[in-house]
Amino acid sequence: MNGSLANAMRSDWFGPLLVTIIAVVIVGSFNPSFLSPLNIQVLLLAIAVNGLIAFSQMLIIAIGQMNLSVGAIGGLCAIVFAGMMDVWHVPAPLAALSALSIGVICGIINGVLIARTGISAFVITLATLSVYKGINLGITHAQPFYNIAESVKSVGQGAIFGVVPWLMLPTMAVGLVLWFMLNRQPIGRFILAVGGNQHAAELSGISIENTVVTAHALSGFLAALAGLLLVARLQMGQPTIGDDWLILSFAAPVIGGAILAGGHVSVPATLLGVVIVAIITQALVLFDIDPFLVQVVLGAMILAAVGANRFRESRLSRKLKRL
Amino acid sequence: MSYPDLPAKGPSGDIVGKPRRNTAATRFYLTNEFGLIALIVLFALAFQFATDGFFSPFNLFSLGRIAAVNIMIGLAMMVVVITGGLNLAVGAIGVCAAMTCGYLIEVVGLPWPIAILSAVALGAMLGFINGWTSVRTGLHSFIITLATMSIFFGVMIFLTRAESYRALPPVFAAFGRMKLLGIFSPLLLVSLMAALFLGYLYNLTAVGREMLAAGAKPEAAEMSGINVGRIFIYCHMLSGALAACAALMLVARNGAAIPSMAGQLGQDWLLIAFLGPVLGGTLLTGGKASVLGTCLGAFLVTMLTSGLLLLQLGDFWIQSFLGLLLLAAVLMDKTRRTFLARRNMA
Repeated sequence: MNGSLANAMRSDWFGPLLVTIIAVVIVGSFNPSFLSPLNIQVLLLAIAVNGLIAFSQMLIIAIGQMNLSVGAIGGLCAIVFAGMMDVWHVPAPLAALSALSIGVICGIINGVLIARTGISAFVITLATLSVYKGINLGITHAQPFYNIAESVKSVGQGAIFGVVPWLMLPTMAVGLVLWFMLNRQPIGRFILAVGGNQHAAELSGISIENTVVTAHALSGFLAALAGLLLVARLQMGQPTIGDDWLILSFAAPVIGGAILAGGHVSVPATLLGVVIVAIITQALVLFDIDPFLVQVVLGAMILAAVGANRFRESRLSRKLKRL
Repeated sequence: MSYPDLPAKGPSGDIVGKPRRNTAATRFYLTNEFGLIALIVLFALAFQFATDGFFSPFNLFSLGRIAAVNIMIGLAMMVVVITGGLNLAVGAIGVCAAMTCGYLIEVVGLPWPIAILSAVALGAMLGFINGWTSVRTGLHSFIITLATMSIFFGVMIFLTRAESYRALPPVFAAFGRMKLLGIFSPLLLVSLMAALFLGYLYNLTAVGREMLAAGAKPEAAEMSGINVGRIFIYCHMLSGALAACAALMLVARNGAAIPSMAGQLGQDWLLIAFLGPVLGGTLLTGGKASVLGTCLGAFLVTMLTSGLLLLQLGDFWIQSFLGLLLLAAVLMDKTRRTFLARRNMA
């Protein structure tokens, strides 16, 4: 019993879970309406979309890179989805499928460029960010698409038992699949191995190129899915979707203990990171604190989280040295 | 900036035959600077034939005004890139400085020279925060400046309530509108001065050489007695100050200090900030600065943007085009380096 508790305390998700519980108790006791069904539904809606954004970045952090184009891919796929329904009257499932495949293609382009050329992921994804965003603006001329299929609108508004939004389902499914993949599947282990030590991974027979391209393709898929969910939630295809994802996509995995050098990420802890960000954002609204301060809080949370990770890391390495 | 000292770098000077001179010439043709000058001339001629009035005084003037700011933004990024780090917060720092300048003039009522100096000092201070945090925690400046970009911009929006300062003294707008010889904007002179200062710093001063050494190999620099942490903090402060200058030039161009002038969180400056140094041949891994290349790169980007706008190819596609340009630039740079390495010329 003692051992398992100590194990739990050392795991990635323990700290974020503790923070989540404390935050819920504090915010809930100061403002009981925080735990009302309506508020929980709002909270879950935010978590559904932001969770996918965070997973999309988390996979790239896992291979020790970064993907600045998460928001641009999500935005492009969102307007492709909405635009196909609005302009060409394509049925919703077909439009969703095309949008998702465009997300995968965008991810593959990122992955191939990075793996083949060996140029840093930062520069490549900064360039493709601009390309994808430019295509988005070229298609939309910065005008939203309003005529979304009714089925999409009802999925966006619907909730199971009036509390859990339908949009939560894809995110939960993705979370489970990702956890299974990273912990139990060869490709997931390859991704973590490449992030942990690329050279060692290559020597043990892992194809770096395939792994990097797969991670980026998955990242593109998740970003696209987040874009689709946002279209369903907003009930229209906004060309500005994705503009403000960058900070958030890094905040949640980092709060969840992800190491930016790669090789170490945690699906449940990242999801808890998303929950923490959502609770704090919501609390700022409930306590009538200026919404402009959300940016400051997000930035401060990233700094605090990387600081804490750094501290944990150095303590761990000292412990290992003593052994 | 790398060309003038190339001949001196060669092996001991006794075999000064024809082959070596050829290599030096080939080397010059293979530098980014030469490539950029060729591209600038080429595109200038192309635009002259394809559009009406590319060389009209009005267009040259507006080109110079935009290029001046872009060059400054590129330099602000370059000074941090040589440390092997980066500064995502250039846009946020710039907007903070511009809004401070507007506040000091409009609300506090300080005379404008003092307000400008304080704004630049604030930029340097925010840069110091970036540098100090990244040096003390040992974390990569990417994640630090990602966080501070959000913090700086958030505090600025919170304090200003997203309102602009529009009642600036006429000297600002006058400076932005002033024309030298009918076509040159004095803003270009400001960028030129900054570039000359950086060229002097990196080529002729000890601290500049230390910056390059610390960026190229921090461990080796530390061993040879350079305080690498302090040097990196200097680089970040310089970057902040240059970002503040760029924003103040933008204020002169717009005649107002506007919180959204660098987009959400200052992200709109990021692409242009990297395009200049990358096109100019600054190594993202650190240790090599090309001031002239950065200026030429930023100028080329500005010229291409303006030419494409004149061609009326659809201004919404410009951003895609700039992204492709960055991709092409890094790919070409990669091929060039492989070529040089194969011929043992690098």
